[in-house]
Amino acid sequence: MALTTVLLKSVSLRGRCFRHDFLHPLIGPLLNDSMSKLYSSYRRPGSQPEKKPAWKSVDLSFKKSFDVLKTQLSLLKKESKEHLIGPGGQPWDEFLLEQTKVVWEFRSQEDLNKWVISSDAEIGGKSEVYLKLGRNDQAALLYGTLNTEVPRDGETKYSGYCGMRAKPLVGSFARRKYYDWSNFNSLYLRVRGDGRPWMVNIYTDPYFSHQKDDLYNYFMFTRGGPYWEEIKIPFSKFFLSSRGRVQDNQHPLWLDKASFLWASAICTLGFTIGDKVDGPFQLEIDFIGLLNDRAHTEEFAYELYEMNPKV
Amino acid sequence: MNPHAKLITTASLILGTTITITSNHWAMAWTGLEINTIAIIPMISKSHHPRAIEATIKYFLVQAAASASILFSSLINAWSTGQWDITQLTNPTSCLLLTAAIAMKLGLVPFHFWFPEVLQGSSLTTALLLSTAMKFPPITILLLTSNSLNPPLLTLMAVASAALGGWTGLNQTQLRKILAFSSISHLGWMTVIIIYAPKLTLLTFLLYTLLTSAIFLSLNTSHTTKLSTLMTSWTKTPMLNATLMLILLSLAGLPPFIGFLPKWLIIQELTKQEMTSTALTLALLSLLSLFFYLRLAYSSSITLPPNSTNQTKHWYTNKNANPLIAILTSLSILLLPLSPLILPTI
Repeated sequence: MALTTVLLKSVSLRGRCFRHDFLHPLIGPLLNDSMSKLYSSYRRPGSQPEKKPAWKSVDLSFKKSFDVLKTQLSLLKKESKEHLIGPGGQPWDEFLLEQTKVVWEFRSQEDLNKWVISSDAEIGGKSEVYLKLGRNDQAALLYGTLNTEVPRDGETKYSGYCGMRAKPLVGSFARRKYYDWSNFNSLYLRVRGDGRPWMVNIYTDPYFSHQKDDLYNYFMFTRGGPYWEEIKIPFSKFFLSSRGRVQDNQHPLWLDKASFLWASAICTLGFTIGDKVDGPFQLEIDFIGLLNDRAHTEEFAYELYEMNPKV
Repeated sequence: MNPHAKLITTASLILGTTITITSNHWAMAWTGLEINTIAIIPMISKSHHPRAIEATIKYFLVQAAASASILFSSLINAWSTGQWDITQLTNPTSCLLLTAAIAMKLGLVPFHFWFPEVLQGSSLTTALLLSTAMKFPPITILLLTSNSLNPPLLTLMAVASAALGGWTGLNQTQLRKILAFSSISHLGWMTVIIIYAPKLTLLTFLLYTLLTSAIFLSLNTSHTTKLSTLMTSWTKTPMLNATLMLILLSLAGLPPFIGFLPKWLIIQELTKQEMTSTALTLALLSLLSLFFYLRLAYSSSITLPPNSTNQTKHWYTNKNANPLIAILTSLSILLLPLSPLILPTI
């Protein structure tokens, strides 16, 4: 019995290998078009198997495109009206005099839909993460289990992370819109954690594609208590990292310019937990806002000296 | 910046500008433009911030493409007429392509998208150079080829520049971007009249340079780059703040100041050319840019204590004011009574 199973398994493996030899290198990408196939035929355990080719999911109905056009035009009209009112849709005196602003708050399911959760299950790990509304719809609850067991694919060395990230703002005709946080200098979070340290990430959609993994990070240490915490993180404390590696050439996070004419302004905010401790985690977030802390005069918290000066 | 590098870049800028404005052959004009493009690149990317690098790359790509188009248009002309003289551009395709290429170089609509972002990514002094010195060679080429340009395209681009410069500048809070949009709309005014009275273009450009230099140098002294910082600049440099307001109103084209002269003369010339609707459209569109100049003047000088501000007041500045500011400010506010001296020459 065991022998039969082993034989069957080996046959299927060989079958796959044969298919792999047959399809690779030229015809493979044409038959099932995923980028990973161009490099390897290994599909990570956490990713979904591709069943439908991309061209099949295109919908060519006329009525639907008409509806989409109507929605986009109404969004464009709204944007033009907001352009007349002032920057970011607020009147000028409000914009110039504001010192605090709530950017994300969690009161309904549509507020939750603005966020995306992810964990290392996408690379084959075993962490789980869920996002739901808290009690009385007053906060969002991000909870789950962190599992640092490394997926056995021969190339991953560390694992165990969960996070949630805000979806980028989209304007009319699917243009990217950015946040203008130039009036503020700190992030203000009202959270209730369980004592675990979290990392706050800010992604500024860069102009150059080789900077697409650039993130500005800082840590948020939560207390476990039953009381809500108000954490202020100044933007001068955020350091630059790329693909998780802290960079040598640091520069301060530029907060300015939300208009669509600028391609390197703040795009999304995210939270990650990856403190190498197995077990459940929980974070309740009431709102995420911005603060102009007048007592905070630091421009950048890290040294800007040249790392390798040319002699 | 390293003094060597500074010397080489400054000398190259002067060289490139001189080569272009003194050239008769298209190749020399193109050479000067390219030298200018390459020389300003280290100045824009001086601080190695990703924003500055992005501005550098955008500037280089646009200017290089525009220079290549200029060369291509002169090549088409040389192929059909056999000569490379700048003032004798006769092939219609050449003329059309040259108009578009110079528009790209200057930042006229619809080739203006690079301009605000490049100015935003560079420091205030480099932004000053980009809006004044780097515009001089293309304007010279426009002046030299003024009777070979394509009139409908040029008028369309000019009116569109005045329109978009005003409209998109309405919601800006960053001063360099506001000045970029003001530059775009002034360029619109400059190019609408070039076919009919090229000297007016030169006059508008010179007065625009005067006013913009005064503004950039004043902003540089008080380290302000945002509208909210401008609101508290009166604590640092009250006199400079007051003169900044007057210069802004001059740039907006309000009568007692010199900024009114080019607008008046251009409208007069357009009316003489039976283009009254264009003149009316331009005058109405300049109201949009007047709105944001007034907003700058309002937030910097007209609102004074006890208003509340949300910016930390900077109590000191370690920048000495450039003595040139005094000269430029006096000229930009008081030069209008001297206009009878200028009028007979046009």
